[in-house]
Amino acid sequence: MKRWLVIATGALLLISFGAFTQGDELLQKALQEGKVVFYANITAVEPIMEAFHDKYGVIAEYTRISTAKYLPTVLTEFGAGKLLADVLQAPVPILEILKKQGVLAPYTSPVAGAYPEWTMDPDGIIQIFGIEYVGIIYNKDVLSPDEVPTRYQDLADPKWYGKIVMPNPTSHATTISWLIGLKEKVFETEEEWWDFLRGLAANKPMFVKSFGPTPGPIETGERPIGISMPKYIITKSPAPLDWARLKQPLLGTPRGIALSSVASHPNAARLFIDYWLSEEAMKLLSTHVGEYVLRRGVYPPIEGIKDATVLPVRTLSEEELEYWAEKFSEIFGG
Amino acid sequence: MKGDMLRPRISPLMLVLILVVGCLTVGPVLMLILGSFSRGIGAFGAFTVEKYIRVYTDPTLHKTLLNTVIFTAGSSLFATALALILAYLNVRTDIPLKGLFHLISIIPMMIPHIVFATSWALLLNPSNGILNLFLREVLGLKKSLFNIYTLGGMIMVEGLLDFPIAYLIIAPAMASFDAALEEAAWVSGGSKFRALQRITLPILRPAILASLALVVVRSLAAFAVPSVIGMPGRVYVLTTYIYRLISLGFMPDYGRAAAAGVSVLVTSTVLVYVYRRLTTRSERYVTISARGYKPAIIGLGRWRYPLSLLTSFLFLILIVIPVLVLLYVSLIPYVMPPSAKAFSMVTLKHWNYVLRDPLSLRALKNSVFLALVGASLGILLSTFVSYIIVREKTVGSALLENLAFFSYSFPGLVIGIGFMWFFVHTPLYATIWALLIGYIATYLPYGIRPLTSAFIQISEDLEEASKVAGAGFLYTFRRVVVPLATPGIVSGWILMASMFLRELSLSAVLSRPGTEVLAVQILRFADDSLWGQVSALGILMIALSTIMATLATLVGRKTAKARRTG
Amino acid sequence: MEIKVKELTKVFRSPSGEEVRALKSVNLAIPANKIFTLLGPSGCGKTTLLRCIVGLEVPDAGEIVIGDTVVCSKARRIFVPPNKRGISMVFQTYAIWPHMTVFDNVAYPLQARKVPKEEIRRRVMETLRFVKLEGLENRPATALSGGQQQRVALARALVSEPKVILFDEPLSNLDAKLREETRKELRRFLTELGITALYVTHDRLEALTLSDLVAVMRNGVVVEVGAPLDIYFRPKHRFVADFIGKANFIEGTVESTKGDYVQVATPIGRIACRYVEDAVPWQKVTVCVRPEAIELGRPGQTPGKTNVFRGRVVSLLFVGENYEGEVRVGETVLAVKASPSSPLAEGDEVSVYLDPSQCHILKE
Repeated sequence: MKRWLVIATGALLLISFGAFTQGDELLQKALQEGKVVFYANITAVEPIMEAFHDKYGVIAEYTRISTAKYLPTVLTEFGAGKLLADVLQAPVPILEILKKQGVLAPYTSPVAGAYPEWTMDPDGIIQIFGIEYVGIIYNKDVLSPDEVPTRYQDLADPKWYGKIVMPNPTSHATTISWLIGLKEKVFETEEEWWDFLRGLAANKPMFVKSFGPTPGPIETGERPIGISMPKYIITKSPAPLDWARLKQPLLGTPRGIALSSVASHPNAARLFIDYWLSEEAMKLLSTHVGEYVLRRGVYPPIEGIKDATVLPVRTLSEEELEYWAEKFSEIFGG
Repeated sequence: MKGDMLRPRISPLMLVLILVVGCLTVGPVLMLILGSFSRGIGAFGAFTVEKYIRVYTDPTLHKTLLNTVIFTAGSSLFATALALILAYLNVRTDIPLKGLFHLISIIPMMIPHIVFATSWALLLNPSNGILNLFLREVLGLKKSLFNIYTLGGMIMVEGLLDFPIAYLIIAPAMASFDAALEEAAWVSGGSKFRALQRITLPILRPAILASLALVVVRSLAAFAVPSVIGMPGRVYVLTTYIYRLISLGFMPDYGRAAAAGVSVLVTSTVLVYVYRRLTTRSERYVTISARGYKPAIIGLGRWRYPLSLLTSFLFLILIVIPVLVLLYVSLIPYVMPPSAKAFSMVTLKHWNYVLRDPLSLRALKNSVFLALVGASLGILLSTFVSYIIVREKTVGSALLENLAFFSYSFPGLVIGIGFMWFFVHTPLYATIWALLIGYIATYLPYGIRPLTSAFIQISEDLEEASKVAGAGFLYTFRRVVVPLATPGIVSGWILMASMFLRELSLSAVLSRPGTEVLAVQILRFADDSLWGQVSALGILMIALSTIMATLATLVGRKTAKARRTG
Repeated sequence: MEIKVKELTKVFRSPSGEEVRALKSVNLAIPANKIFTLLGPSGCGKTTLLRCIVGLEVPDAGEIVIGDTVVCSKARRIFVPPNKRGISMVFQTYAIWPHMTVFDNVAYPLQARKVPKEEIRRRVMETLRFVKLEGLENRPATALSGGQQQRVALARALVSEPKVILFDEPLSNLDAKLREETRKELRRFLTELGITALYVTHDRLEALTLSDLVAVMRNGVVVEVGAPLDIYFRPKHRFVADFIGKANFIEGTVESTKGDYVQVATPIGRIACRYVEDAVPWQKVTVCVRPEAIELGRPGQTPGKTNVFRGRVVSLLFVGENYEGEVRVGETVLAVKASPSSPLAEGDEVSVYLDPSQCHILKE
């Protein structure tokens, strides 16, 4: 009896030790590598970098690269054999191009199971973790919740003449993809979508270069309503911003993360991806930055967002983008 | 007799400088031009002219080009005219409040353009611009008086932003020319106005042309004003057109953007050529001679106070208002028109954030390093380059001058990529030295222009006298040329240092962890519309630049004093 | 130290590609320790020649030898830069460095040659005393008067004790009275120091009063070299005679060369001229007479036997020291001078006497 107990305890110890060493091994190797370099398009993620460092003692270096410079930078470095990044985060269309160029390596994180099935790349390379969701944002000091739109179509109402701000639909790729997403996933008929576009154009929205500058005119009241991002309700708090509770789904470009195929710190990189996808990091992302993440049960602290449907838009080809940019110039008089 | 001639021999110094400047500026531009002829989105690919065809057959291009011409011509004329008037008032008249001029000429350069443009949008937008609301109230109007989102608004804001460049070139020239020439004109019966028109302006021609050339090239490449003010009004110029080329789609084709940028490069090259043609007879303008160079001060009489009102007004709109807006925005939790509510919410949280953010602090440190070291090395190079451009009338000097303008002439949105394509093949990639070299290469004209106008005004006799007195080239340079050019050197240093402190277009591409700089940090905040943090960093930037500029001026003045007292 | 210039040629090209031949195979020997002046109208190449000698211009052909050193030879590919030639120069604009004091301006050539500090101080003060600028050494150079600046420039040129000193129209920026004083002073300085001085000017008076030797230049060529008196009274070329002072030129033909004088038939009559060996009968010549060699008297009052003509006073102008006037003899108008005490008036009949020893034959 005693002997059996000893054996059982020993076996248990061995097993647990083995399991422990497996996780520990990655950490040990990561610690030896000392740091991980992270190229990202997402902003304001410094808290996650710090938390990662505090937890594992591995330095995480974050370089923000804007969408327009992401591919040129990464491909140039990759082509010259000088890609500094170990982990790359970007909108999925960009990661897909990188994948084709062989910049990315497969890695399936042990925590990937906490994400919906569709977020996983069939090749096991890109892991989608969030959606850059777009909504109708308004200044609640200027407008009351009952006068704001409940449907996208309401933005075409002439009462919004001269009151709307939005990213330039004749040049901003994400906005073009979003409008096409509305056509394909939200509006019942294409005719209805065209009416919406024409109505929106007739309201003479103010164009800014991307989503970044959209909350500015809303918070000052220069344009009290706009096509913007709900995450600004968090990042710009306590600015009087709120989102219009639409009956229709919210759309956005999916955000992904992947391992570099030429990572100089591959183990630290894996450790970092695991951490990035963990509940702890995703909570930081949603609480601090207001991001919409796909880990089950984690939501940004924005009232009512839990009940919203948030869908990813598909990747448009370069030809489609140019075609629609031209079309939108005709409609909006870009 | 000694002028007008062409020494056919290119000196060794000229060769060395052509080589150095060429290496600095040609590399990245060459990469871009390669890219514009290559298939795909890199610098190297199969040859194609398709990118040019697509850009230059675009039916919307001609309207864009027209806007560009109006915008560029308008803002450069506005900036230069303003600089001329203010420099004249400051240097040559007894106008009160002279201290203001110094600030007016320098501080606006230190305000990040995007912040300056945004604060003007805050003041003059037709919906709820603070000034518009105020005027509506006072005058009882129904509609807003001003709309900033127009070509006129763009010209005004860009002109104000470029005005200090013009001032820093024209004022030293104004300060160092022989007043006897003007006096001669009055004595011979002309009125003061006639003297101004017939004598003063023609003598200042090299400086005026230099200023125009620089501002034209600058506004051709400007992006902040066209994007913050032009785009909401749907007024597109070449840079916003290029932005459209690279932001449309995830595979931004910088080769195509470079193809569009080539027209800017060609325009600038032609301008530099024309500028050189107009100033070849530089001897005609030699004005610092042994007979002293203290400009006479003209009494303004009853115009003294009305004119000082003008300067005070400029001071208000160029400095007080933008800085106040920055300060205000940095102290309120979110941007809103000033109100009792706003003032009740004053908070230091943005400041706390910025001052505790390790990235921002490192960016601060890096930017100061780049400004101090970069401007000093840059001015050293510029001194030799502009000296040889002025003194050696060979084909080499035309070549050198064009080379110096090369990467500066390319729109900033694109040139950064050129530098990246270039540096990635060197061990400098992702180091602070890549930034340093890129800065100097791109902003070389900021050092060269003021120095060229300074050198044109130093009589060649003074150097020949030194040679005959037994001094070699370097000794002459150190003891005669440099001291006489001190005002130009100080101007150039200030221009370069404040430029480097707020440099964005290159840094946005070349900055990596460890080499963060201020403007990139500001952009990062601006991309998330975090205007509070943007403003706090902006104020820090202005404060730092002001300190550097003040120190440089003091050093310059001390040198000047030292030389007077021996 | 002696300076020799051999076959020196300099061509300037204007930006439009035109060629200007500033010096055409110039040969010149400047003897040691003399004041040698290059005189000529502007554009004659005198400044270019000076600048070639000092080394500020590179000639296209020819050779320059200073003392025993070849400082410039196109054929032998030698070019010694100005700072190594050991020559000093005073510039037309003085080229005083406006950012330095008087002391620093003068000390500069010694500082550039790394002379010890103590010695610099001693030599600068000595030189300043020599040019009478003591006590002004700490003034900013630009605070001085024109004449004082000129002396600073001179002091700067002298302080390095050069063997050769060049002057490029150094007095042209001074007013008339100061110019005269400075001229005398300069001559005194230079003779006292006993150094070779090459002086460029377009002012004939300056050339005549200052120099030991004068070279007259025209269109890139040295026309004539001589002592001031020879150049003035016995020029060989009409251009020189004309440039160096007022002169009357009377065309004529040699009649005879016998006796003490050469007889020349001219429109106003036969003129006896100073004997020259190479004059032959029937030769076309020009007789050159300076106004001061013409004496006027009442009709009948004849100061000499020959060379007396009848004329009429056309004009008479008081110019300070004497009268300058014109007298018509036959169809020829002669420039003349008369003393202020002369009782002549315009329109008077006069006898005109040309001093045969000062009637000079030019062959052209």
